[in-house]
Amino acid sequence: MQIGSVLRTERLGMRFQGPGGEIRLFQDLDLHIDNGETVAILGASGCGKSTLLGLLAGLDTPTEGRVLVGDTDITALDEDARARLRSRHVGFVFQAFHLLSGLTALENILLPLELAGHRDAQRLARDALERVGLANRDRHYPRQLSGGEQQRVAIARAFVTAPRLLLADEPTGNLDRDTGHRISDLLFTLNREQQTTLVLVTHDPELAGRCDRVLHLDGGRLVAA
Amino acid sequence: MSTLRLALRMLLRDWRAGELRLLALALVLSVTAITGVAWLADRVAGATESRASELLGGDRALVSDRPIDEVHALRALEQGLSVSRTLEFASVILVGDRTQLAALKAVGEGYPLRGQLQVGDDPDAKPETATTIPPRGEVWVEPRLLMQLGIAVGDTVELGARQFIVGRVLLLEPDRGRGFQSLAPRVMFNLDDVAATGLVQDASRVTHRLLVAGESPDVEAWQSTVQADRAESVRLESPGEGQPAVQRAMDTAKRFLGLSALLTVVVGGVAMLLTIRRYAARHLDRVAIMRCLGATQAGIAFLFTTKMILLGLATALIGTVLGYLVHLVMLALLADFLPSLPSPGWRPAVTGIGVAQVILLGFALPTVLRLRKVPPLRVLRRDLGGGVLKGVGVYLVALAAIFLLMWWQAGDLRLAVYVFVAVTGTLSLLGLGAALVVGILRRGWRAGGGSGVLVSAIGRRPWTTGVQIVALGLGLMALLLLSLVRDDLLQTWQDGVPDDAANYFLINIQPDEVDDVADMLAEAGVDTEVRPMVRGRLVAIDGNAVDAGAYEDPRARRAVSREFNLSWLERLPADNSVVEGRFWKGGDTVDPQLSIEREFAERIGVALGDTLRFRFGGDYYEAPVTSLREVKWDSFNVNFFVLASPGFLEDAPATYLTSFYLPEDSQVLLPRLVRAFPSVTLIDITSILEAVRSIMDQGVRVVELMALLTLVSGLVVLLAALQVTREERRFESALLRALGGSRGLIRRLALTEFLLLGGAAGVLAGAGAAVAGYWMARSLFDLDYGINPLLPVAGLLAGVLVVTVAGAAATRGLYRVSPMRLLKSSEEG
Ligand SMILES: Nc1ncnc2c1ncn2[C@@H]1O[C@H](COP(=O)(O)OP(=O)(O)OP(=O)(O)O)[C@@H](O)[C@H]1O
Ligand SMILES: [Mg+2]
Repeated sequence: MQIGSVLRTERLGMRFQGPGGEIRLFQDLDLHIDNGETVAILGASGCGKSTLLGLLAGLDTPTEGRVLVGDTDITALDEDARARLRSRHVGFVFQAFHLLSGLTALENILLPLELAGHRDAQRLARDALERVGLANRDRHYPRQLSGGEQQRVAIARAFVTAPRLLLADEPTGNLDRDTGHRISDLLFTLNREQQTTLVLVTHDPELAGRCDRVLHLDGGRLVAA
Repeated sequence: MSTLRLALRMLLRDWRAGELRLLALALVLSVTAITGVAWLADRVAGATESRASELLGGDRALVSDRPIDEVHALRALEQGLSVSRTLEFASVILVGDRTQLAALKAVGEGYPLRGQLQVGDDPDAKPETATTIPPRGEVWVEPRLLMQLGIAVGDTVELGARQFIVGRVLLLEPDRGRGFQSLAPRVMFNLDDVAATGLVQDASRVTHRLLVAGESPDVEAWQSTVQADRAESVRLESPGEGQPAVQRAMDTAKRFLGLSALLTVVVGGVAMLLTIRRYAARHLDRVAIMRCLGATQAGIAFLFTTKMILLGLATALIGTVLGYLVHLVMLALLADFLPSLPSPGWRPAVTGIGVAQVILLGFALPTVLRLRKVPPLRVLRRDLGGGVLKGVGVYLVALAAIFLLMWWQAGDLRLAVYVFVAVTGTLSLLGLGAALVVGILRRGWRAGGGSGVLVSAIGRRPWTTGVQIVALGLGLMALLLLSLVRDDLLQTWQDGVPDDAANYFLINIQPDEVDDVADMLAEAGVDTEVRPMVRGRLVAIDGNAVDAGAYEDPRARRAVSREFNLSWLERLPADNSVVEGRFWKGGDTVDPQLSIEREFAERIGVALGDTLRFRFGGDYYEAPVTSLREVKWDSFNVNFFVLASPGFLEDAPATYLTSFYLPEDSQVLLPRLVRAFPSVTLIDITSILEAVRSIMDQGVRVVELMALLTLVSGLVVLLAALQVTREERRFESALLRALGGSRGLIRRLALTEFLLLGGAAGVLAGAGAAVAGYWMARSLFDLDYGINPLLPVAGLLAGVLVVTVAGAAATRGLYRVSPMRLLKSSEEG
């Protein structure tokens, strides 16, 4: 999958059974994201941005339509096959960082490498930590790091497996403006260096503005800005 | 009371949110265990006491050589107690020209107040329960009397001036055999016939008894009025007194019960600590918001205290009801063993409520109160205030609460301190062991840098892993202690009463009969020794005259105010052991000296080296105490508190006695003995032995049930430990899957974790149980029991099995949660 879209959805739709009946988040979403592209998804709170991102990562299965990562239809895969695909091709950055508190910064970064069975895990993890500027904090636990530092570790964790696709859900949402700025700089830098495709959800128009493409999720449809 | 309403509302909200369920469950279970145990202990102790009461014929007895003042009986009746009288004396019973010395017992209406008379129409009859006392004009007699006199039911016998019909054969008399002083065969008749026999004159040697029975508070009330104004000659007896073997059996049973209850308390406490910390941690944010919105520290403290007290009341109520039901179930299991139980008291219910509050105050409140220190700034910086829950103060309070509960449960400060030191020591050792295991594993793995390491729970959650190992270790240790070690201990204990414990005593053997009796026994294959016995009075200790009134302890007072039995022998009997000083060697040639049973010496205030002066008839004998002994009374061999060296007492007037075991099928020896030596008195102690055995068996049953409760508590700790990490596991599972781990991998990781957890906890618990069992046997139960090296292995197996199965069951479905949740909550991480 060198040319064409790295990520594609076909007539993607998602519904939930809520207490007051069916909630239809979106439907018929057709999305093509090219290799190396950076895409921002904006939208009102609760419109389904995180849900969409989760579907793109194969964390959940849609009620309608398909998601294709490269040529693979991940909606046809079972849970474990999707997990395997993620471990090789997809990185994820969360708004709430989600580091494991019992592991040091370095160990948190080692985690996906070990899950994927990498040989050179230690070196790769140290490199990644160095690239996010935290080489000297390798033995610190998450609680000993600031929010921005934690998010940098989380970004290193997402990039360390050199995924083709990086998904970030409000990566700066929990951070102050300056820190947020530095985090997004980091994201874009790594993205450029590693030729990664980046899809991020944000409420921050400025962050969105740095992306190649900005999409609005509105009324269950994706519209280009 | 708006705060009260607010607290109640918040409590209900917490409950609906599921936040309090686990805490409440832990509390309810603790209260259930404690009240269940309390109720059972209360009623079983009552029943065990009443079993011992059967040996007394009532709950209390007044005993005197002279008629007992009517006022005591009247008072008892006023208190709503039942009352009965007996009169015992020895006399000759006549049939034609044959005579036989008999132990006569005239009984009044209502006798026996505790236990039942078993009677039949001939010696081999199936025993039936007598519903009345012997009617006037009838005697009920022991089988051996029929044999001795060659008579049968329906024949006529003479007692003094009156003729009686032999009405029934007396097959079991519950209060027979007290102190072995009823030597001759029993003849029982109606108290109203005594006057007609003309046998009892003013100066006759008789024993009057007033038996009393009823609800224990009433009995105790009556006892205190009696103690206040009884005549010097009147003695008060309570169940179990005067019978070392029975007393010991009861004491040991009580200790077992108390200990089981204590373990339940501690194990429940661990579950509480685990859950309340979780609860408080989850409340950090909420409190920060409340503080931010203007709540004061005092306000927060008051609110949470109210909440906890309300929770305590609610759970105490449920727990007490459940405890009551649990004890009913246990009693149903015990039904065969507890024929008559005292009706349930209300005290365990009050206890339940009190205990719930103490547990909450000790285990939960200190942690929760720390929440008031949460800085309001936490709403902005979530890393602030996370440390308020840290610190040792919480554990100190918990330890204090444990100690209080232990003290209350044991009802004995010394035992409480003992067990407390043992338990805290155990906890520290378990903690140390857990830290060691976790440390070694982490370090080893990190050094190895090997793969799969980081995903191991021990690497990820060293703190919770350590706590879980300690908690599980404690639960498992209780389990092992109460199953394996308990079995070992009970076995060792029951071995103390071997199957061939002596069942017959021969006393009143005259000096010139000793050799013949010994020969006849030896011919019949009975292995025993005939011992001399002299009756003497202790008159001085180290030259100071003995004054009974100077003793506080009533047992000591009784001991020194009466004659007691001494013997002499050359060698220390096998069931005696010297604990201080040296036992004499060298036959007749040794200097006069004495050896005293240790507890007895303590009681009457005699130490090694003291010189004792005795009076036998008109002569005085004096000798130093050169050794203190311990005696295994359970063997029912002839044993003496005071032994003299051979030769020393030879001139004192002695009779001889012996005890031996005679199997059921060789009892033909008995009539031969009785015929050959008419004046020798044969005492059958099988009935006493049976009473002791049945008390022991009851004890075993009850302890087993108590163990079950502690075991359930142990499982609750396991579940609590798993529950505490539930959210963490859920989050980790989601994260690992988001990062590309398969479900199989996650399940394998959990399994490895449980194996390690269970294995570590099990080995530590096994080692702990082995040491604790050894220590308990030695210092609490006086038993000779070694360290069982198989316990750690058993612990390992039990730990792996229990933790893996329970862990897998409790976390089933946990790992299937969608990783999508990572995109929603911002709570974790
Ligand atoms: N499993 C589910 N069941 C029912 N409803 C759900 C489920 N998951 C999400 N929703 C609903 O779907 C809607 C969209 O949720 P989502 O988290 O995707 O919104 P979002 O656009 O990311 O909002 P925000 O910007 O606030 O993060 C919400 O109303 C949510 O309640
Ligand atoms: Mg969202």
